[in-house]
Amino acid sequence: MSDQKPESEKKFFEKTLEDYRDQVWGCARCNWCQNQWGWNVKNAQYSEVCPAFHEYRFFPYSGMGKMHIARALLEGDFDLEDVPELAEFIYTCTTCGACEMNCQRMQDKEPLKVNETLRALLVKSGKGPMPDHKKLISSVKSYDNPWMQPRTQRSRWARKINIKDAKKENCDTLFFVGCTTALDPTMAAVAQSTAEVLLRAGVDLGTLGKDELCCGSPIARIGDRDTFIALAKRNIERLNSLGISEIVTSCPGCYRAIRYDYAEIPGVPEINFKVYHSVEYIDRLIREERLLFNNEVPLKATWHDPCHLGRHCGIYEAPRNILKAIPGIEFMEKERIKDQSWCCGGGGGARTAFLDFAQVTAEKLIEEVKSTTDAEAIVTCCPFCEQNIGDALSRTEDPMGLIDLMTLVKKSLTS
Amino acid sequence: MAEKNKKVLQKKLSPEAYHELETVVGKRWISDKRSLVETYSKLSIEGMTFVRKHQKDETILPACVVLPETTEQVQQIVKICNHHKIPFFPFTNGQVFSCPTDDQPTLVLHMSRMNKVIRIDTDNMAATLQAYVDYAQLQAEAMKHGLWNGGTPLATSLCKLSSQFSFAGLWQTDLKYGLLNRNLVSVKMVLPDGKILETSSRCLPNAGDFWEYGPGPDLMGLQRGGAGSNGIVTEITVKLHPWTGGTSLPDVPHGRPSLVDVHDPRYDSPDPPQNHKLFWIEFEDFKTQIKTMREISHSGIAIGLNATGVYSAYYCSQTQEMTWERCRNRFFPAYNCYVILAGTTSKEQLVYEEKVLRRIVDRNGGRFLSENYKPEVLEALKPWNLDCIRHTSGYRMNRKMYASAWLPTGPFEVGVQTQNFWSDALNAFGECDITDRGGADDTPFLYALQRGRFSFAEVDNYPDPTDPAEIQKAAGYGIYGMARLVKEKVCPCLMAFLSVEPFTTMFPEIGKNQHLLFRKIRKVFDPKGVNAPGRQVYTEQEWKAVPPPLKGLVNKMREMVGLNAVE
Repeated sequence: MSDQKPESEKKFFEKTLEDYRDQVWGCARCNWCQNQWGWNVKNAQYSEVCPAFHEYRFFPYSGMGKMHIARALLEGDFDLEDVPELAEFIYTCTTCGACEMNCQRMQDKEPLKVNETLRALLVKSGKGPMPDHKKLISSVKSYDNPWMQPRTQRSRWARKINIKDAKKENCDTLFFVGCTTALDPTMAAVAQSTAEVLLRAGVDLGTLGKDELCCGSPIARIGDRDTFIALAKRNIERLNSLGISEIVTSCPGCYRAIRYDYAEIPGVPEINFKVYHSVEYIDRLIREERLLFNNEVPLKATWHDPCHLGRHCGIYEAPRNILKAIPGIEFMEKERIKDQSWCCGGGGGARTAFLDFAQVTAEKLIEEVKSTTDAEAIVTCCPFCEQNIGDALSRTEDPMGLIDLMTLVKKSLTS
Repeated sequence: MAEKNKKVLQKKLSPEAYHELETVVGKRWISDKRSLVETYSKLSIEGMTFVRKHQKDETILPACVVLPETTEQVQQIVKICNHHKIPFFPFTNGQVFSCPTDDQPTLVLHMSRMNKVIRIDTDNMAATLQAYVDYAQLQAEAMKHGLWNGGTPLATSLCKLSSQFSFAGLWQTDLKYGLLNRNLVSVKMVLPDGKILETSSRCLPNAGDFWEYGPGPDLMGLQRGGAGSNGIVTEITVKLHPWTGGTSLPDVPHGRPSLVDVHDPRYDSPDPPQNHKLFWIEFEDFKTQIKTMREISHSGIAIGLNATGVYSAYYCSQTQEMTWERCRNRFFPAYNCYVILAGTTSKEQLVYEEKVLRRIVDRNGGRFLSENYKPEVLEALKPWNLDCIRHTSGYRMNRKMYASAWLPTGPFEVGVQTQNFWSDALNAFGECDITDRGGADDTPFLYALQRGRFSFAEVDNYPDPTDPAEIQKAAGYGIYGMARLVKEKVCPCLMAFLSVEPFTTMFPEIGKNQHLLFRKIRKVFDPKGVNAPGRQVYTEQEWKAVPPPLKGLVNKMREMVGLNAVE
């Protein structure tokens, strides 16, 4: 039935490669999928924005390459059996969206969506995803999280915090923690800081604890649409039943999935609550004077825009407002920011399947910070960014700091 | 059209040749994987390769792609190709001319690893670049030092300077700075037989980059307009000029878009760089436009002077729907030009030049767009505030396929002839999706070059890339235009100072018989015939092998305009 719908009416997760036929035939080879928007280039060495093309230098790693490959598949110029190398090209991509950002702006085409649709095709035909992705998917199916952790571990970070159980007590706002923030011990402080800050501001906050499910974002990015849709339906039903008016999450992946991706699934109910990322929520609390910063936090800091928060969802100014509001912070920008931000390398399943590539990408980010700013620390608010950048810093024993924004916020609040 | 789902099979190099190439660049930088070579086989604005893709023509697939890092590696690769008689094609981004056209296994040399700005020489105002460096990179580095290259093509990151060298290198500021090819100092290139050539004053080691000719016959001149057929440029040195517009371009006041609101026009509304001003002028008719442009260009003011007409409907529209609507409503002035003033010497220069400009325009009856006259149009034209220096939005033309362009060059009146011929072509062939007959009812895109000595015109059409019949119609426009220009003796070539096959051989009126001279030149530089064969000029053997339908198409156009067929 869905094949009969005009392409314009179809939601993303029901589209096939055929729905992109006009786009892939019309790829202009303009190179904007690989390069920073021309007006913004300040240094020759930072003129590119596609981590995969930047590293591997062959065209199939770029958005343009994916468009050409999709065209050839659509026309039957080759079959999936003819191209066993294809999975590597398709999955060596962090889904940062820089290609689609510039291509949409220039050509009104969607190379990232073409790539994600190629991934869905590979998964459906058994040619994908990469072996390490399969473990991740299996974990989500078995444990409702991609980290193979028992469900009970989800609430470990909250043991010392008095926070409502949203299943048992009414609350207005649900803190959707996210799998990585909840289960990675190095992220516990982020979850704690976020909850404490919101509670301090008087937010009527609850969590789902061990009953929180994976939002499905990693599964969606990998291309396993069936698993993602099943998970999304469970989440929508569970979250809609809570009687909350809003969700706040500290993970950009969860934010994007719940706020935008779920709406692209055909035939599911709409969510009955608003969705916020913690930085936009905190920014509002500051403007409403429900949070007051009194403690100085002396630090030269730059902001790294997580792709799923910034480029994908348009939240650029809120974190910057917060950083500028914290006394003692000397805020400085690196070159590639906002819509042209250089990806950390951690997303899209790239870190799982191609760790070296993910790490090299993070190293380039760190190098850019060092050469274009005097920053002592990179500040961000994404668990995937923090994992990948953190690993790169540890590996090279780099003294550059890496701090979650919520940690700084908590530090600066009035005692 | 070929049978759907018929596979397009790739040829392979011999294992021996592949191994030798792998030894040069390393395993990581060579590949013959099927899905990889696919991404090097469809060009962007060359209609016939789209047709050949629809026809599932296997000859446009390379057998192998190799990524060299240095001039020496390029040299070794070229020597291997000569030894094994492997046709090779240098490739930057793959817009035009890169597509293999041979029946044998071919090799693509993708220059993507050679992307460094080697040197900005501020004392002598020159920049040396590797082959893959683009205009944005060059400008970014030069502007830090109060310098710039002097111009921008219509697609900054698309165009690598080494590739544009094969053309003329058209810029928005050709009025003052006069094309990339007038701003070259030297090149280093690997000739088709594997020798390394350094031109101009570079031919003497350590002499420096200052003089652009000789010694003796200007070998760099042989490469200009050569379509990359006479060697592979690995380094290029260009002139730099004073730049007073700031160490980087200004940020757009409204901020940055995201995927959620990417089409908001406020993100495309920058201010011009400091010490620069743009003026938009509307005219009643084409004659007045040309007269005024000529006067402005001869007056000595301004760095850029171009007419955009309906083409702004692409560059300045964030979606295709906006483009169509603005064409239907004739939102942009049919006859116009824009003028770029730069306060290179002082702020007083800007004040003075504006006075001169206004006097000329008033005298000729032109009208400035302003906050009091068509402010909504002036607002919509804001992308040009930065595009005139570092063009970014230009490739919006390719939302629909930008397939067939006429690029005649000559006195300003060539624009009038372009209009006439374009109207004839539309009447003869019918229309593609060409916005609103840009070039027929409006001014063609018209650049003033070299202080008004001559101009360059452009009209385009935009066929549906999924429809081979429409693409062939678009190709027909292009060939018709060439035939008409030659018949009427308007200008020597269609492709902005460049001649490529089948035009080179099939329009022997130009030169006269320039193709015979080009064949001799090609034999000198490329005795084995391996460097982009058949691109600029066919050998006799290659000419015999040209498919009869292609010869037939060109001859049909020749006969339509009253030229004899070429045998």
